[in-house]
Amino acid sequence: MDDSRADIKRQKIGWFCSYVPEELIIAAGLQPLRLQAGTDPIEKADSYLPANYCHYIKRILDSGLKNEYAEIEGMVFVNSCDGMRRLFDLWQHYLDTPFAFFLELPRNRNKMGIKYFAEQLHVLKNRLQNHFEIDITDGHLKEAISLMNRRRAEIMGLFQKQKSVPAPFSGTDLQGICRKESTGNKADENLTTALGMGSEINTTAETAPRVLVAGNSGFKPVLIRLVEKLGGSVVAFDTCDGIQHYRDPVEEDEDPYITLARRYLLRPSCPRMPNTPERITRLEHLASEYAVDGVIYSSIKFCDHSLFEVPHLEKRFNDVRIPLLFLENDYSWSDIERVKTRVEAFIEMIAGPISASVRTG
Amino acid sequence: MMKEEFQKMVPILEQGLKEKTRGFAYFSHQMYQTMLSCYSEDTKTVYVSGYAFPTELLWAFDVTPFDFEVACNNMPTVVNGNGSSIMHFSEDRGFGRDICSFDRLIIACMHENMLPKGDLFLTSSYYCQGKSKTNEVVARSFGKESVVLDVPNEISDASIRYVSDQLKQIALMLEEITGDILYMDRLRESIHSSNRARAKVAELNELMKTKPCPWNGFEACLFGLGGAVFSGSPVREKASQVFLDEIRERIEKRKLRPEKLRILWFPWVPVQTTNIFNTLRYHKVSVVMAEAGMAWWPELDAEKPFESLALKALRDPHIGSCDRRAENLTRWAEEYDVDGAIHFSTPSCYHETGSVKITSDRLKEKGIPLLDLAGDMSDERAYSPEQTLNKITTFLEMIS
Repeated sequence: MDDSRADIKRQKIGWFCSYVPEELIIAAGLQPLRLQAGTDPIEKADSYLPANYCHYIKRILDSGLKNEYAEIEGMVFVNSCDGMRRLFDLWQHYLDTPFAFFLELPRNRNKMGIKYFAEQLHVLKNRLQNHFEIDITDGHLKEAISLMNRRRAEIMGLFQKQKSVPAPFSGTDLQGICRKESTGNKADENLTTALGMGSEINTTAETAPRVLVAGNSGFKPVLIRLVEKLGGSVVAFDTCDGIQHYRDPVEEDEDPYITLARRYLLRPSCPRMPNTPERITRLEHLASEYAVDGVIYSSIKFCDHSLFEVPHLEKRFNDVRIPLLFLENDYSWSDIERVKTRVEAFIEMIAGPISASVRTG
Repeated sequence: MMKEEFQKMVPILEQGLKEKTRGFAYFSHQMYQTMLSCYSEDTKTVYVSGYAFPTELLWAFDVTPFDFEVACNNMPTVVNGNGSSIMHFSEDRGFGRDICSFDRLIIACMHENMLPKGDLFLTSSYYCQGKSKTNEVVARSFGKESVVLDVPNEISDASIRYVSDQLKQIALMLEEITGDILYMDRLRESIHSSNRARAKVAELNELMKTKPCPWNGFEACLFGLGGAVFSGSPVREKASQVFLDEIRERIEKRKLRPEKLRILWFPWVPVQTTNIFNTLRYHKVSVVMAEAGMAWWPELDAEKPFESLALKALRDPHIGSCDRRAENLTRWAEEYDVDGAIHFSTPSCYHETGSVKITSDRLKEKGIPLLDLAGDMSDERAYSPEQTLNKITTFLEMIS
């Protein structure tokens, strides 16, 4: 980053959804911080949202109401689902974070959508400029794009290595890296070294069944840790804090707003977007690329987008004989014992003779 | 089965209309007739949710809109409280009960081959996310792609342009399936017709302020929801006119039900038969204002048809901040001089259930209590008559 950025006090801007372009926040000289929700019992949000509401959203609200995000100067929300729309409304109404922005996210992944999303990124830039009284030039933004491209490439490099048998890193450690990447200081140039992950440290046996974890928000390490504890090797996770989040760089040679919009809209989509078959095909390819023995698809309870996708996913994976386990969770994984039984059975199943046929494609 | 059920309904309604033209019977007859015509091989059928799409564009073409949500959820089996006997066909295939019952029912009808073939599958990003996902599932079963009219949460020049550009693209798709071009005069006429119907609906809204209230908010809500698919067609105009004549006559002849309390109702009424409205009637409660029955959109500009329709979509009460909506509801509550408000909650309607706290607080500021009445639009397994009766009577005691 250039000198003018270095002078700025690094105020923290919280964000949740993988569609938030951190580049704009960095270009403003601010520190993007991917926020997680607390896992303590919900105390306050129950009187704002009903029992059958996405627990991730509810817990974010609860954390906010309990003032757990006091260090945050601003929040960027995304129009990612009906629940998030209401979370933003409630946030604006009952909380006093100095800067709160609602980023529109087009469902059209075409020229119209890209144009509109780029316009929304301009609106975000203007709001950041006005609120924090700072200029964000195209130069600043291009620097930030370049920085984030390097970080993404490093993380994807690690995922790439996971295709080897055995995978060099444990899924738990890899997820830890991703978490640090999204919550740490963006100025760290040598990401993997800074995160202490230069060496290959996986201790999983070569024969351990290889598992791909997919679905939404896997921020909490509970599931991956559980799979590995039960003898599986999580070689990759295609969640909104995994491959989906880090794949595909932003082009660096054009209008940065257009290239940002293009990258975020065209990179592998989450179930919020139309086109389920495209996502299922992609997941099938990932299963093949990473030579996995089975896929665990995990979703936070009451997530409509995933619930509509799962029946198709189950049918397709059944047709192509890739074992799939669908798990729902309440973000804090309060029913871990029940989940443990199911995961244990799944690992036993995929460790059997069927695994060989899948691994050899 | 759906087709057969509609075939049975049409002559019954026709018989009633021969005796006297009543608004609700006329509108219901048109609705079933239109849905039935979608089964004809010659019809160019366009799947759509009439209450969440500017259908004026469709009426400028020779296509027949098939409101798949209204169709599936208005089958007598569902209305008579046996929706789960169909829903299980989707539940058995993995569409769990956390998915909205409306959507489970549609997907079940699809699996049971009850739906007519579609030539184009249109949906929108509003009213809810489940609706567009369901449209995608159904379209795929016919080997087609679902087309989403993506309507952002904010109103600006950029969002108006974004939505109107999508409508223009949809017009091209309609040209393709009909093999005919869009005649701008026809689109303008559709918009004029929509404006005329809107003026009548606004008049109906005004008449509801009369004490005692001359119309049943339940019908107003159903007409707002199911009748929206006719926006831009003469049916909506005529139905609104018949309702107007009926209500004026009722006021003139003082054929009005006694009224002790006045209630604001939102967003929808359950499709399945419940004890709610009988309970309200028994306690002499009028539903004087149903949000879905209001003319909430501005008059459309026939000279700027696409921008105008885009703005109509963007101004939908279910888009934008719930503060904006709560402000409207509070204003209406005052204008209609209500004693309380009832929010009917259907479990998976997340943008609805997530807005109750703000709306309730806004109404409370004006001294208007709100009852959040949990139920289900069409799944009888998620509806308890006893609990509902208890809640309503307690609420009425409180506001009396």
